[in-house]
Amino acid sequence: MAASKNQRVIVVGGGLAGLAATVRIAESGIPVDLFSIVPVKRSHSVCAQGGINACNEVARQQGYSEHEHFDESIYGGDFLAHQPPVYEMAHWAPQIIDLLDRMGVPFNRTQEGYRDLRLFGGSLYKRTHFAGATTGQQLIYALDEQTRRWEAEGMVAKYEHWEFLWPVVSDDGVCRGIVAQDLRTMQVRAFRADAVIMATGGNGLVFGKSTNSVVCTGAAAARCYQAGARYANGEFIQVHPTAIPGADKLRLMSESARGEGGRVWVPAVKGADGKWGKHPDPSRDPRQVPENERYYFLEERYPKYGNIVPRDIATREIFNICMEGLGVFGGNMVYLDLTHLGREYLERKLLGIIEIYRKFVGEDPADVPMRIFPGVHYTMGGLWTTYTPKPDLKGMVPGAPNSMMCSIPGLYAFGEVNYQYHGANRLGANALLSCIFDGLFCGRGVVNHVKNASRAAADEPQSIYDGVVKQEEARVKRLAESKGAENPYHIGRELGEEMTAASTVVKSGPRLEQAMSKLAELRERYARIGVDDPSGWTNQNLAHARAVGDMLAMADVILRGGLERRESRGSHYRTDFPERDDARFLKTTVAEWDGASKSAKISFEPVETGLVQPRARTYGKVEGEAGKKPAAQPVSV
Amino acid sequence: MTTAPVTNPQPRGAQRPRTIRFRIERCDGPGKPARWEAFDVPVEPGANVISCLQWIAANPVTIEGKRTTPVVWDSGCLEEVCGACTMRVNGRVRQSCTALIENLLAAGVTEVTLQPMSKFPVVRDLFVDRQRFFNDLKRAKAWVPIDGTYNLGAGPREKPADQAERYVLSTCMTCGCCLDACPQYKKEEDAKEWDQSFVGAAVISQVRLFNEHPTGAALKPERLDFMASIGGVSDCGNAQNCVKVCPKEIPLTESIAAIGRAVSIHRIKQFFGVRD
Amino acid sequence: MTSASAPPKGNFLDRNHYLLRRLHSLTGVVPIGVFLIVHLVTNSSVVWGLLAHGDKGHAGVETFQHEVNFIHSLPALLLIEVFGLWLPIAFHSVLGVYYAMTARPNNKDYPYQDNWRYTLQRISGYVGVLFIFYHVATLRWGWTFLVPGGTQWTAEHAASTLAMALRGHETDVTLAGLMVAAFYMAGVSLLVFHLANGLWTAAITWGVTVSAAAQRRWGHVCLLIGAGLMLAAWSAVIGFMTLDPAEARQVELRMLAPESAPGTDP
Repeated sequence: MAASKNQRVIVVGGGLAGLAATVRIAESGIPVDLFSIVPVKRSHSVCAQGGINACNEVARQQGYSEHEHFDESIYGGDFLAHQPPVYEMAHWAPQIIDLLDRMGVPFNRTQEGYRDLRLFGGSLYKRTHFAGATTGQQLIYALDEQTRRWEAEGMVAKYEHWEFLWPVVSDDGVCRGIVAQDLRTMQVRAFRADAVIMATGGNGLVFGKSTNSVVCTGAAAARCYQAGARYANGEFIQVHPTAIPGADKLRLMSESARGEGGRVWVPAVKGADGKWGKHPDPSRDPRQVPENERYYFLEERYPKYGNIVPRDIATREIFNICMEGLGVFGGNMVYLDLTHLGREYLERKLLGIIEIYRKFVGEDPADVPMRIFPGVHYTMGGLWTTYTPKPDLKGMVPGAPNSMMCSIPGLYAFGEVNYQYHGANRLGANALLSCIFDGLFCGRGVVNHVKNASRAAADEPQSIYDGVVKQEEARVKRLAESKGAENPYHIGRELGEEMTAASTVVKSGPRLEQAMSKLAELRERYARIGVDDPSGWTNQNLAHARAVGDMLAMADVILRGGLERRESRGSHYRTDFPERDDARFLKTTVAEWDGASKSAKISFEPVETGLVQPRARTYGKVEGEAGKKPAAQPVSV
Repeated sequence: MTTAPVTNPQPRGAQRPRTIRFRIERCDGPGKPARWEAFDVPVEPGANVISCLQWIAANPVTIEGKRTTPVVWDSGCLEEVCGACTMRVNGRVRQSCTALIENLLAAGVTEVTLQPMSKFPVVRDLFVDRQRFFNDLKRAKAWVPIDGTYNLGAGPREKPADQAERYVLSTCMTCGCCLDACPQYKKEEDAKEWDQSFVGAAVISQVRLFNEHPTGAALKPERLDFMASIGGVSDCGNAQNCVKVCPKEIPLTESIAAIGRAVSIHRIKQFFGVRD
Repeated sequence: MTSASAPPKGNFLDRNHYLLRRLHSLTGVVPIGVFLIVHLVTNSSVVWGLLAHGDKGHAGVETFQHEVNFIHSLPALLLIEVFGLWLPIAFHSVLGVYYAMTARPNNKDYPYQDNWRYTLQRISGYVGVLFIFYHVATLRWGWTFLVPGGTQWTAEHAASTLAMALRGHETDVTLAGLMVAAFYMAGVSLLVFHLANGLWTAAITWGVTVSAAAQRRWGHVCLLIGAGLMLAAWSAVIGFMTLDPAEARQVELRMLAPESAPGTDP
């Protein structure tokens, strides 16, 4: 059945996932209304640096394969991810690279003109394609250009500087539109659609300072959750091992720095017993520290993977080193050393991050080792979604209308806001892949959902849209008129500090309980906020205050999930339950909003692990005595 | 066990607490008068203009002690890769995220003035509407006309030197610094004037980027016609401010010359009826 | 997915925007630029003629008069002047002023050398148009009411009448004369700058110099050209201003006499 004239799809969020979906759906002949809080070209995807993973011919001839990519991703995610979607993604990866290549992405090239590859965390093969150290920027620009092309054709209407407020759900329980607000005129209005795709990214701002952009509050996902959509694996938050702290945010130093040969170390002295102890002069100029006083702790503890262990592991090791007092200057920093790689090489392969370090720290990583510390980076959890596995579990059924559909039919979650693919820890350079894969592969499912629909959004009664508009206008009015003593900016900051302290690298039952009571206090204070700006025009004060309320709801999901998950898995590490517990917790955490208690109800549901059986996840760690062997040299190309 | 606060004992620079005065040009909306407000902001180590604006948002009190509305501004990544937070800092257009207070002080300033970009209509305070810029990318057909998103194999192979040239052009984040500093680029409040007014260096450079791609070159004649029209490359006045204010150090003046050359050849070929 | 480009719309100027822009650039180089070079070289002969032939008998005046005589011996001089000079200058001036009016100089916030040259290019254009008008009106069209002392320039007495126009008086330099001379100094200096900088920008406009390094190298060449022309321009103005009109007149009268030929001088 051909798409009728009135059928439309709404995409909320113009990052990689949203734009890939937009292009795919517009191409199939269904017009798209694209909503974004920022001009889509400025979406947070621009911050992705290192690259995008896919099996390639060079790696394949060395023994790598799509199946290996799949297995690495499952192992890296500590077996928490549903396996059929990951299987499909890994097998689709090569054609996604080809497509991006055709779109003109300036991937780095070998001397013969083929796409160059680099090593990345959690793999021993070079299988990461990259464009300098601004790969995410280059990918989103390519998709932004294709979107603009469809916009010029009249198939895409952009609503930039519009904020998603609430989904509109018909009496049959199917999502058939949204209510959104123009952040300039402050107009609230409803939009009809036969399917709504949420592609709204992660929630790093719940943790205050993170590597995320200022728009990554997670508010859109939190609103869907409060409107009845289930939220999954909220407690799984990736803390990136290498970020540089700043007054306004933490800035990412890509994993590619280590993939290209960067080494992590701290100044230390090795005792007669072979154990490393504090350096007598930890603030010594790093260039003056002799080789035998440099503790390359990742290389010693993980001889097989060395500096490219997965992020959760690198983060915990760096964190522990600093807690043991071995950090640089005795503080929370370790060195990420690129000085041995040479300036020309660094500028050719890593210019983007070298520039960031130069501009924000004022030192040149080609001369001086960088000082870095972990920072909140990625949201593995997200809106709960479903899919149709193939009968043998090897992949998903192409074009199935429920591909990455939320618990509210007609509502989809693509990209970082989708909880699939990454399990308990995402491998570096798999995020760009999962975003584009969602848009392209599952975009077809959305098209089929729309084409097969028995009812059209255009025929729904106006009253269901008006009702949600009224609800949101009332909320705007309430906020605009709030004159309480509490400052929403202070509540947001305190929330971030508490969440970072209680629920990032290392967690424990008592500390999470403590955070819950702090959260209760913040929610109570939030009810008494005051908004300084009464204006009905471009009121950021109001939009921020509204998002703080949603971040509080999201923090509740994250903390409760963390409390209920009494084990350690991937990024979720609890001192009181330090071991993985597959019997009880090889399960997805599902949070459902309880309107009465205004908090999350947590339950667990099984994970499809039919392809790869869970195994111990050690990455070859040498326990006790430091490893004798040097880090295995990865297969070179 | 708790996570220690993520702070960095920076070895450089003084860490004495101090305040710095911000003078901010404010405007409540289109058609409203501009006014100036001043704030004294405590400066923490590593502070930039953004962290100071965040402080003002939470403490919107002027130096006269008057409680005012939080300042409105545009921002995104805070890593100088999205282009959102572009504004005039002490008169000069730039991203405010990389405007580290320490560096401004080292350059000898004692107070910081913030103004919206001068070539785009102000929405409110420091927040401007750059829609025209994106619209010009549409006019330039700044895309590669692929057949579709289905699997058709790899793109063309490319020499590393060609990739390097395209890559740097492709790092343009549509921030508009080159336009704001250009004495030929005119502020157009009325969208009807957009196609009569100079498009500026960034768009010209994007035309070069897509003309250089083997598949993108399919649209080269149309792009060059656009460049030859009113507001195209010939409206450049060669002041070359664009290349000096570009935060990504894109060789914009080289792009302008390259497109000037391409349009000349294109027009001569057209005159003689040769297919481009 | 792509549509054929729409036919050019708007008024004549808009429809032919690119052609006019390029003709504007072209006329600046040829013929105007070439003419300016010839003109300055000719006029500076009042000085280099002196250097070449010694100071006996005002060889500078003689050389200059020879050059002027040569020009005035050209067939169809008026046609050459109108189509080769006046029309191109008028075209370049009118369009130039029209284009320059779209400039919004911002040198205070962006005080780069290139940006100053951008602004100066436009200022020199405006002043240059005024200067050329004054220059042609007074010396060619005989608007003697604008000349201090009311001297009428003639091709037969090229040097002496020019000297009079720049001095305002035969034996003295009057204040009005000084002002005219100063105006000449400023006018020709700005026009020389305008040409040299214009040659630099034309190379970018036409895409001759693409790389930044090439633009820099060509900039050095333009600087040399400008410096040479500036020397010629200044020596011409100073040379005529310091010339003794009475002596120059004697030389010209000798050259006018039919039997006058080199070697027959008393």
